[in-house]
Parts: sequence; C-alpha cells; structure tokens
Amino acid sequence: MITIKVSNLKKYFKVYKKEPGLWGSIKSLWKRSYETVKAVDDVSFEIAEGEIVGFIGQNGAGKTTTLKMLSGLLYPTDGKTTVLEFNPWDRKPEFQKQFALVMGQKNQLWWDLPAIESFHLNKAIYEIPDKIFDETLAKLSKILDVEDILRIQVRKLSLGQRMKCEIIAALLHNPKVLFLDEPTIGLDVVMQKTLRDFIKTYNKEFGATIILTSHYMGDVKELCERVIIIDKGHKVYDGKLADIINKYARNKILSLTLENSITKNDLEQFGTVKSFKNNQATLIVPRKEATKIASKILNQFKVNDLNIEEVPIEVVIREIFGAKKIH
Amino acid sequence: MTKYLTLLKITWQNSLVYRLSLFTWRLRSFLSSLMSLTVWTVIFTSNNSAFGYSKESMITYIFLVAFLQSMIIASSLNGLASRLYSGEISNYLLKPINLFGLFAIQEIADKIKNLLFLFLESLFLFLIFKPIIVFPDLKLFLLFLIWSFGGLILNFIITLLFGSLGFWSPQVWGPKFLFFMILDFTAGKLFPLDILPIMLQKIIYLTPFPYLSFVQIQLFLNRLNSQDILKHTVILVFWIFILGTITNKIWKKGLKSYESVGI
Repeated sequence: MITIKVSNLKKYFKVYKKEPGLWGSIKSLWKRSYETVKAVDDVSFEIAEGEIVGFIGQNGAGKTTTLKMLSGLLYPTDGKTTVLEFNPWDRKPEFQKQFALVMGQKNQLWWDLPAIESFHLNKAIYEIPDKIFDETLAKLSKILDVEDILRIQVRKLSLGQRMKCEIIAALLHNPKVLFLDEPTIGLDVVMQKTLRDFIKTYNKEFGATIILTSHYMGDVKELCERVIIIDKGHKVYDGKLADIINKYARNKILSLTLENSITKNDLEQFGTVKSFKNNQATLIVPRKEATKIASKILNQFKVNDLNIEEVPIEVVIREIFGAKKIH
Repeated sequence: MTKYLTLLKITWQNSLVYRLSLFTWRLRSFLSSLMSLTVWTVIFTSNNSAFGYSKESMITYIFLVAFLQSMIIASSLNGLASRLYSGEISNYLLKPINLFGLFAIQEIADKIKNLLFLFLESLFLFLIFKPIIVFPDLKLFLLFLIWSFGGLILNFIITLLFGSLGFWSPQVWGPKFLFFMILDFTAGKLFPLDILPIMLQKIIYLTPFPYLSFVQIQLFLNRLNSQDILKHTVILVFWIFILGTITNKIWKKGLKSYESVGI
C-alpha cells in the first residue's frame, strides 16, 4: 500500500534582496527588490507502507521544506501530496493523530517545565487512553534510559537528554508515519546508535513508514535501504542506497602492502597515490580497470596483501553534488 | 474538552515558574491603581465633583478600570506575532488541536490568574482608601457583565489581528505600540472620555476602542439612557462581527504564506 504520494510538488518563497551596505539599507526603505527562491521544484515520489527512506541533500536543498509540506505546515505553491490518503494541508485531526514530525533542532517540550508535563499534555491532545499512555511511556523511557530525568525542568537537561524526551513526546501516540529531521544531531556516538536501533525496532514493531533526513551518513546507511537525493529543490536520485555506488562511483580504492621497498613514482603509473608509507600504499584507480590494474601490480611487484574496495558512499554523494549535471 | 483543560493547567504552571517576574508584574498594576486613586483623592479633597463625576463615581471608575484592564485589555497574546514569525506555533499546527482554541485557553488562563491577583490587590486598596463603591441595579450589572464579555471577545479579535502581522514581519512592535498609545487614550484608561471635547469624543466613538472598557464603565455608573444602551449594544456586536470576519480571512491567508521558520 502506498502511504505517501507526492506529485510535482513545488514550494517557492519570495525573498527580499537587500543591496549591501548602509546605502542599500536606506534605499530599501522605499524600494525593495524581491526574488523567488525555488526551495522545492517539481519533486515526485511514492513511499510504501513500512518503508524507511533517507532524504539526502546539502543544507538548503529542500529536504525540510518537503517534510513540512508533508506535515501540513506549509502550503505548497503547486503539486499534490497525500499522506495516509489525507491531504496534509487540511490538517484533519484523524490525520494528525497518525503522524509525527521530529525536528532535531527544535523542541516541542515546554522549556520551563519538566518533560513529563509536556507528555501529559500530548496525552490529552492526542486523546491517548491512560493504559496505553502508561505502557508506552514506561517502554519508551526504559529503552531511551530517561526514567530518572522526566521530572527535571527541560531547560536543565543536556542536548542528548532533551532529544530523547523529544522523541518520546513525538511517539506517545504511536504514529504510523514518522518524519525525522536530523534526529541524531548533537548526540554522542553511543546515543546515535541507541536511537538508530530504536528507530529500526519502531519501524518493525509498528510497520511505521519513516522518512529520515540526516547529515550523518551512518544513520542513512544503517537505517535506509532506499534514499532520495535532493539538490537545489530537484530530486536527483531515487533508489537503493547500494545502487548509488554502481551508478555514480567512478573509482575504486586499491590498498597494498608490499614486501620490497619501492618508490612512490613506481606506483603513480597505475593511478592516483593517496598515501604511501612504510611499504603500504593506497591508490585511487578507475573503477572499470580496477582488476586489470591489480593484476598488473601483482605481476610487477612482490605484494603481501591487496584489497579492492568501493569508495565510501559519502564521497560518491559529495561527487554527485559537485557535478554540474547528473541527470 | 480534556485537552483544553490540561492545556489550561499547564499554562498556569508555566506562568508560575518565575516568581520575581510574576511579583513585579502585579506590583506594576497595583501601583498604577494606587497612583490613580491618590491623584483623584487629592483632586476631590477641595471639590465635591470634577468633570461631572462625584468622588464616589470617580473612585468606582478607577476600581472598574483596574478590573476591566485585567479582564479585557491585558492579554497573554501580545507576543503572538513573534511566536508566529519564529515558527513557534508549528508545534500546535501539527497536532489535533484548534489553534484559536489554544489561544483562547491561554487567554482564559491569564485572565483567571489576573482576577485572583486583582481581588487580593483590591482588598489592600480598600483598606487604604476605604472607598464607597456605587453599584448599579442587578439588571444593569448583568448587562455590564455581558458587555465586559463582549469587550473581552473584541480585544481577543484585535489581538489576533495584530498578531497575524507576524506571518509577514517579525517587527510588529511599531503598530502594536501605537495601538497601546491609542488604547490608553480612547478606552478611558487614563481618564473618562467624556471630559474630552465633544468633537474628539465623536471621532473616538467611531473606533472600536471605547468598547474595550469605557462604555462598560459608563453603564456601571448608570450614565447611559436606554437609547444609548441599545446603540452601544448594536455597535459592540457590529465590531465583533466585522473585525472577526476580517481576522478570520487574514489568518487563512497568513497560514497559507506561513513559512514555519526555525522548526
């Protein structure tokens, strides 16, 4: 079943453009020029029930704007969106009770009160029955290890503790659709791992459909089979994460351990030498010729160990954004 | 309904967190009443009446101003525009809760709190000045309460209207400040409007401002005839209807251009 359907979605913002300097400011009192920023431009995709999809893009690519349109916060300039067969913009309570948006950089908790008060408010707003609320809260606070901080003023909590409480607040009503915008931002490595495991479990247990944006490729690699890459408001890739490498990676990495000492120059004829130290070398070679080059090296030198690896996905994605045209 | 009750409770809890701020805010309002009472008591030591008001009427006037200030004009939504512009309301737009219901609850929470404090402060003022308060008959008093409720709704609508500017600009203190200045003069907060020249009074009566305190006080002090009462009732309802419609339209438009920044 298709849970999220987006067709030709657009969101344009009118932005005031100020000329630099004091004179620019004075001039802007009577004359202003505006320009249109295409935050999201003709994006279409479908997401099936139970999928976890990663949204990848640089800052300002349009990821968060898309999530906000899917949540009904922003009114699209053009295009159509349905989530759980609802138009998000209608903001029907039946729809709102079934989804949650978690923003890593913003909080919904009441800053001056303990988190438990915000949880009780959400319980009332989402009309969660007592029994389910108690069970869910107990379960979530145990998994995320926050049982002893629920009665401390939110402003006194650390970023990580606050983020965990944010997640609890967003999940108390057991949403079927989750939009997670940078959920692991500012968290330490251990906490990132806990959260990822948690998201995975939540997805399995509830069959929840999840869209995740993250700057940490670790999150995406571990959680998402499918990714959608957005660049400057356009969708540039939609498919399996693993296929990105096959499609876009131009090089492979050769790691060598040599028996005899040779010079860096000896290796440079085979490819770009990335590192060369104590008879160990790393070479970047064209992807298609990787095996051929490896066998040449094996013939020419005494090699103790040789590895052919794919370039890291981060590098491939950086290359995608760097390229002018990739359609 | 439970959701709004819980919201009321949490709003109270939140407003009681900072004791110093709470205390100084009430002190300000208390001193304002104390000052007015002192000034007018001094004026009345040498005169039996001033500007057509007897001493009792004027003292009653000041107590009524304090009451209506808390009931009608004081609003928890004065920072609404920046809450809109900063994207703070996004949290609520995502949830199954009515936005205006939410604002109304915040107002109600604020007003009930105001009234509790006002009651205590008035006791003090009573002890100091030992005033004689003139009360109208029951029928007028009930109508006074209804008009006060009308004024409350009108002020709520005007506050939402000003707040909606936050959809387009964060800097709404300019217009808001102007509004407060006009309000101080035209709602009868600083002095009764009928001490102004007739021409000026006529102009002021073309605006909704006298309906935010002044007409209610006039009714309480039994200074209106039945024709005036009917006229003011119609105008009050008219303003609520007109401004309510405009505000509703602007909010619908504003939400469409809402940028939900920050979050």
